Amino acid sequence: MSTDVNPELSPGEARMRQRRRREIITYVTAGLVGGVIGFLVAFADQGDGNLFNGDWDKLVLDPAMAVGLAIALVLGIIVLPLWAFTVSDELVRERNYIGYTGGCMAFMGLVPAWALLHAGGLAPEPTVPAAWAIGFFATMGTFAIAWFRIR
Amino acid sequence: MKNRLKVLRAERDWSQAELAGRLDVSRQAVNAIETGKHDPSLPLAFRIARLFDMPIEDIFDDGEAQ
Repeated sequence: MSTDVNPELSPGEARMRQRRRREIITYVTAGLVGGVIGFLVAFADQGDGNLFNGDWDKLVLDPAMAVGLAIALVLGIIVLPLWAFTVSDELVRERNYIGYTGGCMAFMGLVPAWALLHAGGLAPEPTVPAAWAIGFFATMGTFAIAWFRIR
Repeated sequence: MKNRLKVLRAERDWSQAELAGRLDVSRQAVNAIETGKHDPSLPLAFRIARLFDMPIEDIFDDGEAQ
């Protein structure tokens, strides 16, 4: 891999810039993967569902398309962040750990709590999109808190 | 954890970005360490100690020293 190192930069500065480029590539790739998945689901859906409205049970996809999108989703949401952990600065990594911990704890705690409230007749039945949204927004919220507190 | 990083950096007239480059971390990481909001990993603490040619305990103070 070419590092096109500027001879006026120290090795540390060159690596820092390279890391910054990798972070930008990660964000752009994640955005592209998300955009492509959203577009393809909207384009290829043969049912009445909508990925963003939460009615996932009404989505109908060609099996090959479903497998391809599932692989892309796993790459974008699991593999890409794991790779980013290996190349990011330790401060960025700490913030990400905190963010993912917040999301994971919210998912593991709030979804079953919601199910219990539903069992008690106090809340509607938990849905998969809503459970996913709990994890996602808890991750983003916790990451934002970490970003403001550790900088 | 308290540390003398800001003082040591100022003594050498280095900017945070310059120190970050020498340590191979982001400028934000240097700032977070200087303000005590982030404790560096052990490998980074060793890099800092080597850069300033000082023992780690002369740079970082966990408040437990006698």
